[in-house]
Amino acid sequence: MPNKLKSFGRDTGLQVRMATTMFLLGLLYVAFVGALFYSGVSGVFILVFAGGMALLQLFASDKMALAAMGARTVEPDEAPELHAMIERLCLQADLPKPKIAVVDTRMPNAFALGRSPKSATVACTTGLMELLSPAELEGVMAHELTHVANRDVMVMTLASFFATIAAYIVQFGFLFGGGMHGGGDDDDGPGFLAVLLISVVVYAVSFVLMQALSRYREFAADRGAAIITGRPSALSSALMKISSGMHRIPSQDLRSQQQLAAFYIFPPGAGKSLASLFATHPPMEKRIEALSRLEMQLQSGA
Amino acid sequence: MGFLDVLRGKPKLKGPAPDRLFAMSTAWVTIETEMNMTSAGQAAIVFQPLATADFDAIVADMEAVVGATGSETGTTVEKHDDSFGYRWMVLRDPDFDDLVVGLNAVNTALQDGGYGDRVLCGLFAFADASGRPVHIIYNVKRGTFYPFVPKPGGVQSRDTEAELRLRAQLDKELPIEPELERWFPLWGVPLS
Repeated sequence: MPNKLKSFGRDTGLQVRMATTMFLLGLLYVAFVGALFYSGVSGVFILVFAGGMALLQLFASDKMALAAMGARTVEPDEAPELHAMIERLCLQADLPKPKIAVVDTRMPNAFALGRSPKSATVACTTGLMELLSPAELEGVMAHELTHVANRDVMVMTLASFFATIAAYIVQFGFLFGGGMHGGGDDDDGPGFLAVLLISVVVYAVSFVLMQALSRYREFAADRGAAIITGRPSALSSALMKISSGMHRIPSQDLRSQQQLAAFYIFPPGAGKSLASLFATHPPMEKRIEALSRLEMQLQSGA
Repeated sequence: MGFLDVLRGKPKLKGPAPDRLFAMSTAWVTIETEMNMTSAGQAAIVFQPLATADFDAIVADMEAVVGATGSETGTTVEKHDDSFGYRWMVLRDPDFDDLVVGLNAVNTALQDGGYGDRVLCGLFAFADASGRPVHIIYNVKRGTFYPFVPKPGGVQSRDTEAELRLRAQLDKELPIEPELERWFPLWGVPLS
């Protein structure tokens, strides 16, 4: 009986779905890059430009995002309990200690930022700390730490790389597309139009795939949190409290940060009308269902 | 975590590292003779108690085993649940080597029960020449030690200077944790 918990938290179905999504994304991008170069539309320039943007996003976005959300990094003496809780979780998850930030708002939420575990920041709102019991808060912070351990910011930035390029092409195409054909020669006309069309398709398909990937990584973070804390039900209870709290307290400030929605524990402004295909987070019932499966595995010692 | 694990978003809880706990037995000689520190006669192991039936049984077995060895060596064991939901098994024995053996017994019992990955750390309590508490924490997952010297008073602040000095002194004796951002403090150590 070397390690009983090895199989605890295994979810092969999730792994398969995640791998399929990534494979489809990759396939799409390879086809897209091929089409770009084939048509010869200053593809290199666009690649370099988007690459630069992605790098900038990876290396400079943390501070901007924190500032945009009004998050303030707190030292141990300002939030001693939060620090001590995260330190214990880091010890358990074998992670270096991230920076810890607090957003002063009634809305209960938490998020993680940073391209690598060493440069990560985890943040939670004062509303979250008020709403949740210590065990529930621990579950939520473990969820965010799993995002850090899984390098989800990095994965999602890379995954969105080509979608970003496609978006640029679509934008540039609509801006300059008409003007560039004024020269009279028809050579680049069909080529450019084809790239524009392909870009639109790439953008649309990759958007849906990205959202799917985001949902799978959300499940993975829930599972990771359950493994780190050993208390899946505490996270379930936290999710239930947060989701009811979200609907009770309307808020504008975090809702505007749609770009960062993927890294929240719970998406801001998630309404029932939102088509599940376009949601960055899986529906709460499914997350709680997955967590209760984990609790059952844990209880049966499987 | 490997590249593939990152891609698949597969969280694995790291199991215990190769056991380097007994490095403390040899280091103790240096600590006592050259560093002018005394053992507080106490050590502890910290773990997450899971709310499952078999875990309770394993903990009960473990307590029985440690209690039995304790009656030979004179080690007393005491349970303590802290405010963060972790359980401390506090061992008291004037003989330092017995503390190391006892800590190892607790750790082994949890590992044999299949719950080795629930152990957070081990902790040895010392006092420096002026009687101030000095802790040496054993990170079970990484098999490394690091010093933790809380400043007196209720505030959560640590004496980094003293800790870095201890690292220099203990570097040859113990596998010291090389990354300073992993020197996690443990506030409110329930040792007297």
